[in-house]
Amino acid sequence: MPRVAYDDSALTVWQGSDALKFIDGLSSNKMLGMVKGELCQTVFTSSQAKIIDLATVFHMGDFLAVHSHRSQLTALLNHVTPRILNQDVAIIDVTSRNQFCIEYDCSNSVVGRFELKDDITYGYVAEGFSLLIASVDVECTCVGRIIEFNEWRIENQIPWNGYEISEKQHPLSAGLAHLVHLNKGCYIGQEILARMISRGRQGKIMLRIENGEVDDKFVTTHGEKYSLAIIRDTRQ
Amino acid sequence: MDCGTCETPDSVQVVTPEVVNVNLTISAKAQEMLGNAFGDDRSMALLIGVLSGGCSGYVYDLQIVESTDQSCQEVVIDGFKVLIPNASSHLLDGIEIDYVDRLMGGGFRINNPNAESSCGCGESFS
Repeated sequence: MPRVAYDDSALTVWQGSDALKFIDGLSSNKMLGMVKGELCQTVFTSSQAKIIDLATVFHMGDFLAVHSHRSQLTALLNHVTPRILNQDVAIIDVTSRNQFCIEYDCSNSVVGRFELKDDITYGYVAEGFSLLIASVDVECTCVGRIIEFNEWRIENQIPWNGYEISEKQHPLSAGLAHLVHLNKGCYIGQEILARMISRGRQGKIMLRIENGEVDDKFVTTHGEKYSLAIIRDTRQ
Repeated sequence: MDCGTCETPDSVQVVTPEVVNVNLTISAKAQEMLGNAFGDDRSMALLIGVLSGGCSGYVYDLQIVESTDQSCQEVVIDGFKVLIPNASSHLLDGIEIDYVDRLMGGGFRINNPNAESSCGCGESFS
């Protein structure tokens, strides 16, 4: 299966007895109930429900390993660290100790778990792709080309950080509605997302379009024949 | 994955706001309800904490406690001992503890001049 380097990656370790509850209280997906060996993706959102970062949380037992994005790490930490207050949460940045890549076009039978194979952590994020994390000392070959990965993303309508996923979008418009848990309770941005869902008015949506079908300014990932675009949903 | 947990790498720099000396008031109705809750035992204290979460980012956490491990400021108002954790003192300076007497959404309420916004239920603020 093809692999592509995932350079815009950050890895932080969140320790402390309140860490899982802390992430749950500040992001869109339900994290409480996670157990060792599981992973879960969630979105940190602003009070306007705009995306701060998409995070993949690995439950390691005694701590949480949180994959996020290097380009967004400062914004994420500025968002969360003032809210630690008296809670038992400590965050350590271990990005520089690790390398990251995506294995795609796979058919993962198990989703939402991770395992260690040949010193590489395979996070089965979705049926079609895995997030691979390894120490920089480990040989982990990622020779795929981003242009081919993007064609695969377009075909499978997978949003990606820096393309569809940005601070201009909310999770629903960026194709991340599956990471917005409807019954988890309050978090920053929840009221706005809940209102959009309950009224059936989320504004924009991510679509796979044929090139030339919409104005180029709406295109988020350009492909050879098809592209991904975020456009206003005319059905609303 | 190298989590660095075998060693002790430095933690991410956490923004630690300056501790402020908290001034607070308790409305007459809230004092009456606190009197009912405390009874004659004024050795207990009302701990007003702040946690992350809620629609607006922070939620109030009110508890009646004998003591706490948290580093706190103690304020005594009309015999009621109120504990404010230093870590959240910057968020609680100037608050009024009120009591809203109604069937739905009633109970203790914090009127907070530091809050830029709060959610509908009144438990969350930013």
